[in-house]
Amino acid sequence: MPKPIAPPAVDRVYTLNLGPQHPSTHGVLRVLLDLDGEFIVKADPVLGYGHRGHEKMGENRTYKQFMPNTSRMDYLSGLLFNHGFALAVEKFAGIDVPLRAKYIRTICAELNRISSHLLWFGTYVMDLGGFTPFLYAFDDRENILDILDRVTGSRLTYSYCRFGGVCQDVDETFLEMTKTFIDRLRSRFSDYHNLVTKNIIFIHRTRNVGVIHPEQARQFGVTGPNLRACGIPFDVRKMEPYELYDQFDFEIPTGTNGDALDRYNVRLEEMEQSCRIIEQALARMPKGGGYLNRSVSSRLTPPKGEVYFAFESARGLTAYYLVSDGSPHPYRCHIRVPSFSNLHVLVDVLRGTMVADAISILGSIDVVIPEIDR
Amino acid sequence: MGYWKEIVEGGWSLVEGMRVTVRRLWRPVVTVQYPRKQLNLSPAYRGHIELRLFADTGTHKCIACGACQRACPSHVIRVQGIKPHMKSPKKATHYFIDFSRCSLCGLCVETCPTQTLQYSREYELEGDSRWSSVVDLIARQEQSRS
Repeated sequence: MPKPIAPPAVDRVYTLNLGPQHPSTHGVLRVLLDLDGEFIVKADPVLGYGHRGHEKMGENRTYKQFMPNTSRMDYLSGLLFNHGFALAVEKFAGIDVPLRAKYIRTICAELNRISSHLLWFGTYVMDLGGFTPFLYAFDDRENILDILDRVTGSRLTYSYCRFGGVCQDVDETFLEMTKTFIDRLRSRFSDYHNLVTKNIIFIHRTRNVGVIHPEQARQFGVTGPNLRACGIPFDVRKMEPYELYDQFDFEIPTGTNGDALDRYNVRLEEMEQSCRIIEQALARMPKGGGYLNRSVSSRLTPPKGEVYFAFESARGLTAYYLVSDGSPHPYRCHIRVPSFSNLHVLVDVLRGTMVADAISILGSIDVVIPEIDR
Repeated sequence: MGYWKEIVEGGWSLVEGMRVTVRRLWRPVVTVQYPRKQLNLSPAYRGHIELRLFADTGTHKCIACGACQRACPSHVIRVQGIKPHMKSPKKATHYFIDFSRCSLCGLCVETCPTQTLQYSREYELEGDSRWSSVVDLIARQEQSRS
C-alpha cells in the first residue's frame, strides 16, 4: 500500500510540470508533480493533448471504414488493434474466417507484440540513461518491420486485417523470414541480458522502484505485463482464449514484487513466449484454404444489439464495445484501452517516491498516450 | 549482498556489458546512408493510389462508378465522369485525390470493380502548399503518356 507520508507545510510544496513535451514521457503526457524537496507528494496526470475523437469517428463511418483508425490508437501495436476490431465485428456479424487467415493473423499479431516490447525495452533503457541497447533493440525491431512491411505494405499503421481474413496472403519468403528472425532474436537475448538485465546500474534504478501491489492493481484495473509483474497470472489469451490461442502451448510469465524490474523481466519473457507461439503457428499453418472470406458485404450491417470483445494487446486487456441499431454505422463505439488504467495507478505509486524514480516508473508502466487520448 | 561483493559483481556486470558493445563493433553496419543508397521497396508497398494502364486499351478502365469515393473513410477521392452517348458506358473525366488526408487503408483499391486502381511506388513526395497534394490522376496519366 502507498507509503504514509507526513503532510508537508504548504509553502514547501513546489509544483513541477513534467511534460507535455518532456523527452521521457513517451508522447504528449503531462504530469503535475507536487514536490517536497526531492519527494513527490502528489502526482496528477493530465490527459487529452492527443485527442482525435476516434470513438466519435467510429460512429459516423461504416465498420469497414473504421479499420484504419484502429491502428492509429496504439501505433506501436497497430496490428493487434486491427486484429481485435476484426474479431469483434466478426463475432458481432457471425462471419467465418478461413483457418489459414487465422494463422496469418496470429503470427503477424505476435510479431507486432514483440516489436512493441522491443521498442519499450529500448526506450525504457534510454530513459534510464543507457543509449546503446536502444540501438540494438531498434535493429531487431527493424527486422520485424521489414517482415510486416512485406505482407502489409506499411511499417506502422497496418490496417491489414479485414472482416473474414486479411487483405493479402503471405508467401514462402515471409515464412522463411519469420523463422530466421525468431532464431536471430533468441540469439540476441543473451546480449540483452548481459548488457541490461545484469547491469548493476539498471538493477539499482529498477529494483523495489514503483512497486504496484496486487490489490492496488485490482483497484485501478491494471492489466497486461504490469499486472502480471505483480504476480497475478491474468492474460486474456489464456483466460478467454480467442482466435487460436487455446491451441498453442505458451506460458504466462509472472513476477513477484511488482516493481519496475519485474515489469522488465515479464516483458522480456513475453517476447520469448510470443516466439514460441509464432513457431507453433508456422509449423501448423495450412498451405491452402484462402486468406479472406469473400462473402462479406462491403456495407456490412450487423444485427441490432451490442457486442463486447476483449483481447490482449501489448499493454493489456483491450476491448471494443459496439452497439448496432441495424444500420451500416455503429450506434456507439467504445474502446477500453489498457494504458488509461495503467497510467492512473501512477497517482498512487508515485506518492512518496523521488523525482528521478518517477521517470523510471513512468517508463516501466509503458503507456502509449494516443491510445489513452484516442 | 555485502558491500564489497556488490562492488565486485557490479563492476563485473559493467565489463560484461562493455564486452557486448565491443563485440558489436566488428559486426556489419546495419544502417543505410539514405539519399546515396536506397533500399528496395517491399512488394506490397502502399503509396498513394494511381490509375493502372491496361495494355489492351492503352488507358485506364475507370467507369466513374464512385465506389471508391463512397468507400473512402476520409473523403479523399472525387470522381467525375460523363456518358458520351446515351448507350455508351460512363467514362471518367476527372479523378481527384487529396493525398494529404489519405490514410492508405486500401479500401478504394479493394472496392474498385474494374481493378483500375493500384498503389504507386512513390515515396519521395514534396510540395509547397497543401494544394500540391491534390492531384487529378487522369490528367496526370494523360500528361505522362503524351
